[in-house]
Amino acid sequence: MSQYKIGDKVDMREIVGEAICDLADANEQVWGVTSDCAGNMKSFIQKHADRFVDVGIAEQNAAGIAAGLALSGAVPYIMGMAPFTTMRAFEQNRTAIGYQNLPVRIIVYVAGMTTGGGSTHYAMEDIAIMRAINNMSVLSVSDPLLGAEAIKAGLTHDGPYYMRMPNGKGEPVLYEPGSVRFEIGKGITARQGGDITIIAHGAMVGLAIHVSDQLAEEGIGVRVIDMFTIKPLDTELLLQAVKETKRLVVWEDHYAYGGLSSAIADALVDAGVQAELFKRVAIPAVYPGFGSAEALYAKYGMDADTVSKEIRAILK
Amino acid sequence: MNRKETIDHLKALANEQRVLLVRLSESFNGNIHLGGDLSMTDVLVALYHYGMHVSPKQITMKDRDRFVLSKGHAAACMYVTMSLCGFFDFDDILNTYGQLDSAYGMHPCKIRLPGVECSSGSLGQGLSMAVGMAMMAQRNKESYRVFCLMGDGETCEGSVWEAAMCASSYRLGNLVAVLDRNYQMMTSFTEQQTMHLEPYADKWRAFGWSVIEIADGNDMEQIVDAIDHIKNMPKDKPVALVCNTVKGKGISFMERQIAWHAGNLSKEQAQICYNELAGQRRNAQ
Repeated sequence: MSQYKIGDKVDMREIVGEAICDLADANEQVWGVTSDCAGNMKSFIQKHADRFVDVGIAEQNAAGIAAGLALSGAVPYIMGMAPFTTMRAFEQNRTAIGYQNLPVRIIVYVAGMTTGGGSTHYAMEDIAIMRAINNMSVLSVSDPLLGAEAIKAGLTHDGPYYMRMPNGKGEPVLYEPGSVRFEIGKGITARQGGDITIIAHGAMVGLAIHVSDQLAEEGIGVRVIDMFTIKPLDTELLLQAVKETKRLVVWEDHYAYGGLSSAIADALVDAGVQAELFKRVAIPAVYPGFGSAEALYAKYGMDADTVSKEIRAILK
Repeated sequence: MNRKETIDHLKALANEQRVLLVRLSESFNGNIHLGGDLSMTDVLVALYHYGMHVSPKQITMKDRDRFVLSKGHAAACMYVTMSLCGFFDFDDILNTYGQLDSAYGMHPCKIRLPGVECSSGSLGQGLSMAVGMAMMAQRNKESYRVFCLMGDGETCEGSVWEAAMCASSYRLGNLVAVLDRNYQMMTSFTEQQTMHLEPYADKWRAFGWSVIEIADGNDMEQIVDAIDHIKNMPKDKPVALVCNTVKGKGISFMERQIAWHAGNLSKEQAQICYNELAGQRRNAQ
């Protein structure tokens, strides 16, 4: 990873594919399972064909087989696209994997609106439904290099988890390689700041860092928390931010209700804490049409410029 | 035991199993899926007491055959079979079934009941899990086989055919799907009313499986023949054992009755069951 530097555009899918292969090199119990989505697992397929299953376009079967493998001692990594892996196979994810509390790792790419392919191909409710599954942890990784850390965590993590990549192609490196400690349950403070906190995950973390850096030049302190660990949520870090900055913006490529913002709202209510300001920057209640992710973010007020303007207005 | 003794022994066990199911239903204040329990009783008894390599003393034995009850609503039938095998104490089942914190409920839970290979109850999910187990055995060159018992009704679920396609593609000769073809679902008869499942065996053949059809899936001799025949099948294909059965088999007022998909027996009804089962026992001797 030392060959990369901040700002480099990297394909998280490739990083993740290689990480699963590396893990399988050293651990017999690691299997790969996919529903026709293993373009990024070439090394795995080459080296570990006997531990690789491609079921074709059949997400329910992929989930069920992964459960069967896990019941037989495997640690299976499912590779798939976010919308279909979560929605088509929801019940297998819940009953075969969650109910039996099996160490299945569900790894997806093209989360949120990142494909531009229309609402059939957008995962805008995946976090809502996956975090509803008891025993299932939910991760949404921002920095492509951290994708590898999330994969490694799969070897020791108790119970199943769901890991969502953004598109997984060409997202920028956000952190100095090797500088961030990746621990499920512990969010990452990407920028310090005392006036307001943005809590984001996935592709929106890079945008939030941009906003923070931009506003810092204007003397506005925007804290940025990379809450890649949506479940379990880092409540301690959240409550500290509310205490110190009073105002929260939750920014995510997901519907505004059901995702991280709802997880945070739940945590605040449970803790009896009210932020002075709680703003959701997310997909509104529509089925979005086509266009690049950037164009869609701009259309729905989820782009960096809009968020910068809003924060300026809030703090005026 | 010679072959005739084996079959007589299994027949006696199946009869005893039916008696125990009636006792359970008589004592439990709620519905039990008696119709499907009774249709699959004979084949399940044959599997646990004859066809499968399992041991109640070593439930984690590496080379044990794996049993997946895909039709999870027939858990009571599996508990009773396994109790007759020595896995569980029938009195435990009788005294706690369906109660708070019991290990024995309407649908099996492997976390609550060690010895059960997987949790089930949502129909159509078992075969995929069985495929995963069979893949593991194939890859690790382990000798165990995986048996997945399904109801014919649940094979309406599309995921069953995803798994069926996958099993033959991966040449899982160590996988046996046992189909309890009782021609009924919860509220209807398959061919007359809802889904037309025929040509049923041909569907499995078309998906690349070897098929063994059992004309009377409640006839122990035919079941034993079929189980023996599995080893003659090609080693690179999964096997479908299509058991043509009668829902509610063995109890006259339950056979082929929609009303007895699930039910609760009164004392009087239970007595009729005991009398009929005793009659069947006498006729067998």
